[in-house]
Amino acid sequence: MRLLLKKIYVVIAMASCLGMSSCNHDDWFDRESKSLITDGQLWNDPKLLNSLLANYYNRLPQLHGVFNTGGMTELDDAMWSGHRDGNWRNDFQFGDDYGRYWDYGLIRDINLSLENIDEFSTELTDIQKRQYRAELRFIRAFVYFEMVKRMGGVPIVTTQLIYDFSGDPTPLQIPRAKEHEVYDFIYQELEAIQGDLEENKASKTRANRYTILALQSRAMLYAASLAKYNNQLASPITTPGGEVGIPASMSTDYYRKSLAASKEIINGPFQLYNENADKGANFYDMLNKKTGSEVIFAKDFVTSLKVHRFAYDNIVKSLTEDNESSSTISPSLSFVESFDYLDGAKGTLRDRDESGNYIPYANLTDIFANKDARLYGTVIYPGSTFKGRTVSVQAGVALWDNGSYQFNVAPQLGQQLEDELGEEYAGGLWTGFDGPQIDAQDVSNTGFYIRKFVSDAPAASTRGTSAANWWPWFRLGEIYLNAAEAAFELEQADARGYINTLRERAGFPANSIATLTMDIIRNERRVELAFEDHRFFDLKRWRIAHLVWDGSETDPNAVVNGLYPYRVIRPGHADNGKYIYQRVRPNRFRRARFFRLANYYSSIDQTVLNNNPKIVRNPFQ
Amino acid sequence: MKLKFSTTMIAGISLLFVACEYDNFEAPKSVLSGKVMHEGNPVNVRNNGTELQLWQDGFALREPIPVFINQDGAFSAVVFDGEYKLSRKGNAPWLPQASDTIAVTVRGNTQVEVPVTPYYTVTNTSFDRSANTVTGQFIVNRVVANSNVEFVRLYLGKTVLTDQAQHDLNIEGNANGLVYGQPVTISGEIPAGLRNLEFIFARIGVKSSLTGEYNYSPVQRIALK
Repeated sequence: MRLLLKKIYVVIAMASCLGMSSCNHDDWFDRESKSLITDGQLWNDPKLLNSLLANYYNRLPQLHGVFNTGGMTELDDAMWSGHRDGNWRNDFQFGDDYGRYWDYGLIRDINLSLENIDEFSTELTDIQKRQYRAELRFIRAFVYFEMVKRMGGVPIVTTQLIYDFSGDPTPLQIPRAKEHEVYDFIYQELEAIQGDLEENKASKTRANRYTILALQSRAMLYAASLAKYNNQLASPITTPGGEVGIPASMSTDYYRKSLAASKEIINGPFQLYNENADKGANFYDMLNKKTGSEVIFAKDFVTSLKVHRFAYDNIVKSLTEDNESSSTISPSLSFVESFDYLDGAKGTLRDRDESGNYIPYANLTDIFANKDARLYGTVIYPGSTFKGRTVSVQAGVALWDNGSYQFNVAPQLGQQLEDELGEEYAGGLWTGFDGPQIDAQDVSNTGFYIRKFVSDAPAASTRGTSAANWWPWFRLGEIYLNAAEAAFELEQADARGYINTLRERAGFPANSIATLTMDIIRNERRVELAFEDHRFFDLKRWRIAHLVWDGSETDPNAVVNGLYPYRVIRPGHADNGKYIYQRVRPNRFRRARFFRLANYYSSIDQTVLNNNPKIVRNPFQ
Repeated sequence: MKLKFSTTMIAGISLLFVACEYDNFEAPKSVLSGKVMHEGNPVNVRNNGTELQLWQDGFALREPIPVFINQDGAFSAVVFDGEYKLSRKGNAPWLPQASDTIAVTVRGNTQVEVPVTPYYTVTNTSFDRSANTVTGQFIVNRVVANSNVEFVRLYLGKTVLTDQAQHDLNIEGNANGLVYGQPVTISGEIPAGLRNLEFIFARIGVKSSLTGEYNYSPVQRIALK
């Protein structure tokens, strides 16, 4: 009690002291805040503006891109072989909301910035202002493109929407634009800012003239193929108001616009990456190294500042530098077989002869010999190397027993055979350190690992250091394919040249394709742009996604299969010690990919429909 | 002090036994059930395929109740009594409805028929097995005049859930040579993995070029032993 009284005295004394003091200087109160940035400061300081823009660039949307390991395992190119909590990716059906994207938060941020530059930026030069405005408008166009390709026509909002508290929200309720109006908006926006980005011309991470052309090239190609192929469906997917469905008559103009943009880039300062004589390694280096002039626009990463964990997720099992995780993406057999042979033959692997007998190969890699070099650059297959080490991929041994092979798999990875069969088999590997295993986690389930995008830098697969290779939003390889497709659709003769140039970089002889078809172009896109967030949207815009991913458990295109190498044990026979390959369906892959017509446009969230009665629903929603 | 502690405990524990009205309303009990029908016959669909939706007016926010359809065309939902709107979603093996809403009043257990116009009906289906071959004979009738057959298929499966997405064998028949109203046959070899089973299931599917979903025959059980 006495202590409490004492405390009260102290408090009273201190309070009265405060009362006696006073300020002589008003500016003591009038200091600049150390924790707040005013509009006037922000919109006049290029350093602050750059960091604001960095935030927006960082929010550029993707579906299966920017090292999104999980997303990459949801299609036919790969399955999930990582931790079991990701098993649903091998056992799911594309929901009506799959790929839904409705980011008016980001659109509002950009619109607000554009208005604030006009209002507050008094100390910036005109060139600076124009440049910032152009970058913001590029990002906005990019976001609208992502929305229209997933949702169809969306409301085009280019100003802040401010509620006036009148009780009537109808001025804020903007209906969906027609699908083609959004593509036209993107094109016009990009046209309008063409001349304003001179300052960024050396940059690969900020928008410049060629970035804009690359987005035009892609977006116009999408619009054109949607206009063409949607109307070739027996019953085209449309809404009465045109929010979904582009008239077929518009396709030619869109193809022309796409081709014009592509040609300008191809004639620009870029070169297909060709710095390594080993074509396979060259293809890997193209995206792993930040040199060369293939990449047009990238999302950059820097060690210790901004990193990603793609290498941690996907490093080959036996090369793991961290504990936990590895080997999350297992590329599929159908993907590996989509790479042609260099002599032009279809890429189907020759695992059995005409009468159905296994074809033995002396070396693990022999079955992949003379394949498109991009296979090596994209996939780590049995017997291949990574970081200078040969991966140990061998499912088990095939014992010859009474006229047929008995396939025998070790209970643990990396076991030697002598444990099981005695000393006469000493020195023989039973199951490799890198699997494959049919039902295990953190080891390949298909016999293949991913190489593309997996950094080989020291400690890149540790969580402490992580990887810093960049993500290519646009690169010249895609532009060649865009040009080839647009030229082909316009029946122009040079279409073949673009594809052949690209194939030469992959190790094919000059003029490897004599007669170009749409199927060849589609396959080229699959192998060249694999895991770069293209395939889902490509199949959608060609309107073949529902045919390729038909949900049929017996269709090798809809199912992720694997190819397991076995070492032959057949003492005294010529095949002893050679390898045979067995096609398998991994146990962990549970359900065939099934794309329904409803998935061509994602459903719109019910809260959006509730809030804005002018928004019409997508077909099938 | 001890007294205080136990009083607090008793007070605290007794709190567990009370609850407020808001979180204690009764679960819905009324069963709304019915079938998707065409001319008195249920329309067969794919398991986990097309859906119906129930909507209720009179609330600020709207949220549909999804109603899944069994493969034999039957559906049911447990809901509160009230006025509902039952709507037929797109991507179905039947014509999109110009006015797609059926008003339903649920008072206790309620039956409702959902009339649809399928693109095709598959009738007079029979399956014969000789050794390891199953032959399905059936008649395809066109209901929607401008519809064309894109695929006609025979499915064999281990379970009663046999359709375009789930099956062990899928044999494509000759869609171009198909004559409406005339018997058609498709045969298929029973896959090796199914031959030792007691019985398997067979079904016929016909797909119109106008939609993504198939019209099916009823699933039929075939005894193997």
